[in-house]
Amino acid sequence: MFSQIFKATLETLYMLLLSGFLATLFGIPLGVGLYLCSRSRRLKTLYALLDLLVNIFRSIPFIILVLLLIPVTKNVMGTIIGPNAAIFNLTIAAIPFMARLSENSFNAVPSGIIDSSNSMGLNKWQMVTRVLIPETLPDQIGNITVLLINLVTYTAIAGAVGAGGLGQLAINYGYYRFQWDVVLYAVIVLVAISQLLQFTGGKLAKGLRK
Amino acid sequence: MILSVDRLNLSFEDKSGRRKILDDVSFSIEEGEIVGIVGLSGAGKTSLLRTLNLLQPVDSGSIMFDGQNIVGLNESKVRSIRKKIGVVFQSYNLFRYRTVYQNIAFPLRIQGISRGEIRERVMSIVSELGLEHRLSAYPSQLSGGEQQRAAIARALVMDPKLILLDEPTSALDPRTTGRLLDLVVNLNERRRVTFAVVTHDMDVIKRTCDRVAYLQNGKLHFFGPTHEFFVKIENNEVSDFGSPLELERSVLSGQKRLLRVLFWGERTHEPVLWEIAREFDIMINILYGKIEELKNGPFGTMIIAIDGHKQDQFIEKLRDSVFFLEEVR
Repeated sequence: MFSQIFKATLETLYMLLLSGFLATLFGIPLGVGLYLCSRSRRLKTLYALLDLLVNIFRSIPFIILVLLLIPVTKNVMGTIIGPNAAIFNLTIAAIPFMARLSENSFNAVPSGIIDSSNSMGLNKWQMVTRVLIPETLPDQIGNITVLLINLVTYTAIAGAVGAGGLGQLAINYGYYRFQWDVVLYAVIVLVAISQLLQFTGGKLAKGLRK
Repeated sequence: MILSVDRLNLSFEDKSGRRKILDDVSFSIEEGEIVGIVGLSGAGKTSLLRTLNLLQPVDSGSIMFDGQNIVGLNESKVRSIRKKIGVVFQSYNLFRYRTVYQNIAFPLRIQGISRGEIRERVMSIVSELGLEHRLSAYPSQLSGGEQQRAAIARALVMDPKLILLDEPTSALDPRTTGRLLDLVVNLNERRRVTFAVVTHDMDVIKRTCDRVAYLQNGKLHFFGPTHEFFVKIENNEVSDFGSPLELERSVLSGQKRLLRVLFWGERTHEPVLWEIAREFDIMINILYGKIEELKNGPFGTMIIAIDGHKQDQFIEKLRDSVFFLEEVR
């Protein structure tokens, strides 16, 4: 049993970290896009569109999103079960979430810092890479922590529809076969992962805040 | 002339309709000069400052900077103009997660200047501003005065043609204010840095400004040398900074003639009054007097009561020898 839990834990971590990485990779640029569009008079309509899309994706419950994405997942990943298919679903769900979180952090940069950067003659690219990202770095670490902890729950949900990992283990052995000890162990590991993420993220963010 | 503003208009739209922020404002700044932009809160000072470094587009008017109209330029030209104008904001706006050194080096780094040259330029400025020992500190670890000096250093490092200071003394204690004003005057004298200072602090105007642009409700009410601005205040033509002097009723109810005399420049320290009084055998009673050191010379105000036979001749001669004379009664 423990070897199964161990294997499931690795699967969960694999899904978690890869989807978290991809969501950050695409989510933060989308957040930058949202931020820049919201501040530009010309791009107001583009912002409204992106904003709506982000809201729609964020309001669809994850389990429904997985179902809706089945044809897409099948096309892109070649399969709809297993960790890799789940990573696709998780990433799609997490990108808008990460984008919104990072947009909020960009909005929280004091307007004076934006003003003084502008008055130094920075271009848009420098503004993003030299000011917005560095000035929100501790907050973005916090955002990624929140994202990953959310993804822990999502991987468990994905487990219910064949993704593998601790969620599937808990459903298959615990729920369908009444092995409640397996459920308990799965939950303990999930809680431990969340705690570890929170602790590490908190420490990192604190270290970066001056 | 480094900067010349001509008929600048700016208005904002809000719920109650269009609000005029700047109304036909014109003034200029010469190279090597310090100009104060003064007025009460809401007079349009900060808006004017924001228009000068193109953070705020205007409705109409022109801003000539360094021989070029900078209103309505495209974005890349705007960026290159901004690099020639340093700004020290009221809230300093240092980058929170960069050290003092990194903050000061920042404007140079984004221009791709070599590390060696950056180091050289930063170090020469920090030693002048007394920040050498704080280079590896983060802004949150600095005092208000140090943060401000770091912000000034960050503006100076670009070798700008003009530095805009927004309310530089509003968050400083009196001693730090004194040091800041010394620094500004020093930089102006030694490096020939041109400043525009937005302020409502009379000390800043007295000690640093060559000329004053006085705004009231978005209109420029006065633009000229600092001492003339003080004459306006003394004559109650500018009341935003408190009325100069309320004479006591007992003084005003006396019998003798009262004169208000303003001195400016070299003659302030000469015994003009005594010489002329002796010539016409006039008795003088000084009721009030003060001398202030303006940047462009000493400025004195005096209220005297006179007694004697040749009062009219005395007044006439004195009027020619002082900056301004008025009979209070």
